[in-house]
Formats: sequence, C-alpha cells, structure tokens
Amino acid sequence: MNNQSIKLEVGGSTACYTVPVGPVHPALKEPIRFHFDLDGEQIVGVDIKPGFAHRGIEYMGMRRNLIQTLYLSERICGICSISHPLAFTQAVENAAGIAVPPRAQYIRTIIGELERIHSHILWAGVGAHELGFDTLLHLTWNVREKCMDLLEELTGNRVDYAIPIFGGVRRDIPAEKAPLAVEALGYYKGLLDQLVDTFLHDKSIEMRTRGIGALTYDQAVELCAVGPVTRAAGVPKDVRQDMPYLAYADMDIKAITPRDLGVEPTGDVYDNIIVRLLEVAQSIEIIEFCLENLPEGEITSIPKVPALLAALKNAEGEGIGRHEAPRGEVIHYVRLVEGQDEMAAWKVKAPTYSNLMSWVPKFLGDEVADIPIIAASIDPCMCCMDRVHIADETGTTSEKTKAELVRLSREKTRRICG
Amino acid sequence: MNPEQILSSFREALGEKVLEDRTIERSVGVLKSKPVYDIWLVVGRDDFHDVVAHLCAKFDPHLSVISGEEIGNDVALNYHFSTGWGEHYGEATFTIRTLVPIDDRRLPSICDLLPGAQTSEREKREFFGLEIEGIPDDRNIFLPEGSTLHPWSKEDDGGTSKELKRLVKWEARDE
Repeated sequence: MNNQSIKLEVGGSTACYTVPVGPVHPALKEPIRFHFDLDGEQIVGVDIKPGFAHRGIEYMGMRRNLIQTLYLSERICGICSISHPLAFTQAVENAAGIAVPPRAQYIRTIIGELERIHSHILWAGVGAHELGFDTLLHLTWNVREKCMDLLEELTGNRVDYAIPIFGGVRRDIPAEKAPLAVEALGYYKGLLDQLVDTFLHDKSIEMRTRGIGALTYDQAVELCAVGPVTRAAGVPKDVRQDMPYLAYADMDIKAITPRDLGVEPTGDVYDNIIVRLLEVAQSIEIIEFCLENLPEGEITSIPKVPALLAALKNAEGEGIGRHEAPRGEVIHYVRLVEGQDEMAAWKVKAPTYSNLMSWVPKFLGDEVADIPIIAASIDPCMCCMDRVHIADETGTTSEKTKAELVRLSREKTRRICG
Repeated sequence: MNPEQILSSFREALGEKVLEDRTIERSVGVLKSKPVYDIWLVVGRDDFHDVVAHLCAKFDPHLSVISGEEIGNDVALNYHFSTGWGEHYGEATFTIRTLVPIDDRRLPSICDLLPGAQTSEREKREFFGLEIEGIPDDRNIFLPEGSTLHPWSKEDDGGTSKELKRLVKWEARDE
C-alpha cells in the first residue's frame, strides 16, 4: 500500500484525510509509523513504515564470537528473550553438528512455554487497556507476576534468562524447584476459566472486538502471517506441530484455532483473544508433560566454554533454527566458516516481520477508534505512541495525544454499549 | 509428501533448471526419535521465478524470510520457504538459493506469486542495493526514507559507518 497524497473532497459531505500515526505509537511501546487514509472515521488506506528501532544486531553479531552473539540474540526482544536464543542455538547446532542432551531439550521447552504464558497474559492486559477495561489490565498483569516469579526462581532472571547455550542449557532445574512450577501451573489452571469468561463473555469486549481487525484465511496464507494472528484466521500453522523440535517432538501438539472453542474463524481481534487464551492452557499442559517426563542426565554436551568455542571455530556449514515464539515463528539462518570465530552470515526473522503486511487488510474498513486495538491485536514487537499529527486539506495540523486516542477508543466502547 | 517426492516433482517439471539439490535429515525427539527434513535447492537467477512458481503451484509454501550475503562476485540469496504446514510432522524447510552478480544486481520479484514476500524483498533491495523487478513497492522499509546506503553490500565502502557516526553525533548534540 503506497499512499503519497491526501485525497480530498473539499465542499462535499465528507473529506478524506491522511493521518500519520507514529513513529511513536498509539497503543504500545516501540516506534512504527502508519499513514491512514480516512473517509470520515473509516480507514480506506494504510501505509506502514517500520525501521525506527533498527539496531543493526545482525551486523554486530557477525563481528563477535558465537557465545558473545548468543547473549546479543537474547536481547533482540525483551519479552521473547528465550525465543531468539532457542532458534539461534538450534541453527548453530544444526550447522556445527552439535547434539543437545535430552534433559536440556526439555528444560529449553519448559522455559519457552513459561515465556508464552507470561507473553500472552501481558498481551491480554494491553488489549483490555486499549478498550478502556483497566480493571482487567490490572487483573491480568497481577496474575502474570506468578509466572515471572517462577522464571526468576528457575533461572535467576525475570527476563533474559540466559538458559540456552550451544549444546545444552546453562542451568538445571533441580528436583527441589519442580514443586514451585507445579504450584504455579495449578494457580493458572484455577484462573483460566475466569480469564476466558471475562474476556470472551463480556458484552463490551465482544462488541469492540467481534468483526474488528478481521483477516481471512486466504489473506493470512498469502501474506505469510504467523503465530496467533494466522491461527486466529483458521490457518493451522504452528512450528511445534508442523516440524517438531526439542520436547515438542515427543508430544502431539496441535495448532489452536478458534474452532477449538466452536467459533468459526474470521481472524478478528476476538479470535486473536481466543487463540492466545487457549494457548495458555496448552502451554500449561506442555510444561506438565515436560516436568513429568524430564529425562535424567547431563544438561550440556560440551560443558567447558573454551572447548565449545574451539568446536564452533572448527565448524563449517549452514543451518536453520526455528521456534514457535508467543507471537509466531522465529527463524535464524547461520553460515559458519572453519577457522573463523564469528559467523559468515546471520539472518534473524521475528514474528512481527511476518505479520507486518497482515495489518493492512486488518485495518481497512474499520474506524479510527479501532486503531489501537487492531494495532495491538497482532501483539507487535514495536510499540507505543506519544502523539498523532493530523493534517487537514488546508495543510493545517493538529496533534492528538496518546491519551486522546485512548479516550476516543473508550468513548466508542461506551457509545456502543449504550 | 516426503522430500524425495518433492524433489522429483521439481526435477520432472524443471529439469536442468535445478542446478543442485540436497536433503538433510535430522532426528528429533527424546522418547521416540523421528526424522525431519531440510531441503536445499540452487537455481540460476533466470530460472528462479519459474522454480518458485512451481513451488507455489504444487506445495502451498510459507515464506519465512530471505537471507543473503555477498560471496565473491555474487550476492547469494536464500529464500527460506517451508512446505507441508498444518500437519503434525508434515513440514519441511525448503530453501532456494540463487546467485545475483554484484555488477548486475537484478532479480525478479516473487510478490506476484506470494504477496507476503514483499517485506523481505524490500529489505534485501535496500540492504544489498538490488533491483527487484516487479516489486509492488520499492521504497526503503527499514532504512531511512531516501537513504541510498546499502549496509550489507561490500561496495558500501564505509558509507554506512560514516552515516552512523554522523547520526550518533547528531543524536548527542546539546540542544
């Protein structure tokens, strides 16, 4: 979508505006810029420009040794801080032919699924906030803390857990820690019905999300969308199911779509909520399986770092690593050259990269007040806006603050609820 | 469909247009071991669009991303597809590699076949200075609008570093 001009019907009953939103964003916490073409309140065109937080991480990674780059990969995303290392370590292990002990594969999976639980609950809170339902924001972010506490107990950190290392994991989950995980999982199981009921059976949430930000099955496939965004449209894509790895290979993982709740998928915001809530339940089951079947044995195949660095330096080849992160498929490609500490090539792909284009059909036809919740619906990893500049046909500009957009969104909730 | 059936389909339909193919079998699973497959193809630039067209017509691919690097006198581009999604253990990665000469950086777009390729094509266009013929939108996507720098190209000749230093200095200005 390329919009270069403001379309106007001066003197008519309606006027079309081009409204730039961002690069500081209305809904979340990282920069991206949208240009919306509006016919009255309705969105009739959208142009998207990312790149405002481009840090050159791949460039930096190709100038460091692989262990240094592993820590860098953990900092690609704060929320998905194990998702990128999981894909990266698998890519390097595939390229270098390094095996991962069974116990380490299960520990990686446990931490990856804990990340999914707290990420999805975080997203649910953000979505509630955008709709003006801050009680629910506070509830969700409060219950999310249980997962963050557990991660801290198991890894030492709330984010950037530093668990994967090439050939295994850096820390074990000792037997005395397992009851903490069991207790936390029980806590979430007890809350799931309440979360599902509050999000999916609340009249105002339903009215603000049903039919809003829709994405068809065909659009999701053609645009190569990933994660809950594509599954909400009824596309059963999930790397854990399609091409299993780690402990997922021992389970019968099934991609979750709204059909699992008896809802015919439309890819709208409501369907995105369904998928993410059901995936919290799925993650609990996966972690329980891993804890019950946690293999005994070593946690790394090359425990000494100098030996590991030497093995990596002697490796030659290329590899692909994929992981189904909370937001969708993460993929890393690496090429290693013998005798070289750093990678010859490294490509990182995060889920938002794949879902960027799906925003276009999701926005079209909806209203200005829906922008925050539609933007949030793909759970983008680029966020938050401070203000919006609105230019009218005379070139006069005005500003709308983030608070103003949130107010518009909340007014719409009140209006349609009568 | 197993990897050999997929490759046979390409050999039959495209013959010598597929310059090289290989399949890597990996074993996954702890309680019960099962194979998964990475398929790699090398094709010429002139045949690249035909090969992707066959993939799209027969195997309903998902494009994850395009990776690339300059090797010698070529830009080596890897199109990381996967096929068989939607089924338990049904998917294989399917990477198509093609080489673009650094002194003739043209390549056909595949957006007519798979619109979702646009983001990754735009990224490769700006980072390597490629001319992607038929791309629906050839503006910069991740680099600043109007920037003519190509950071991943060896012909960039320090231009990106100079620009980065200028931006850092500009950001740190005391106003």
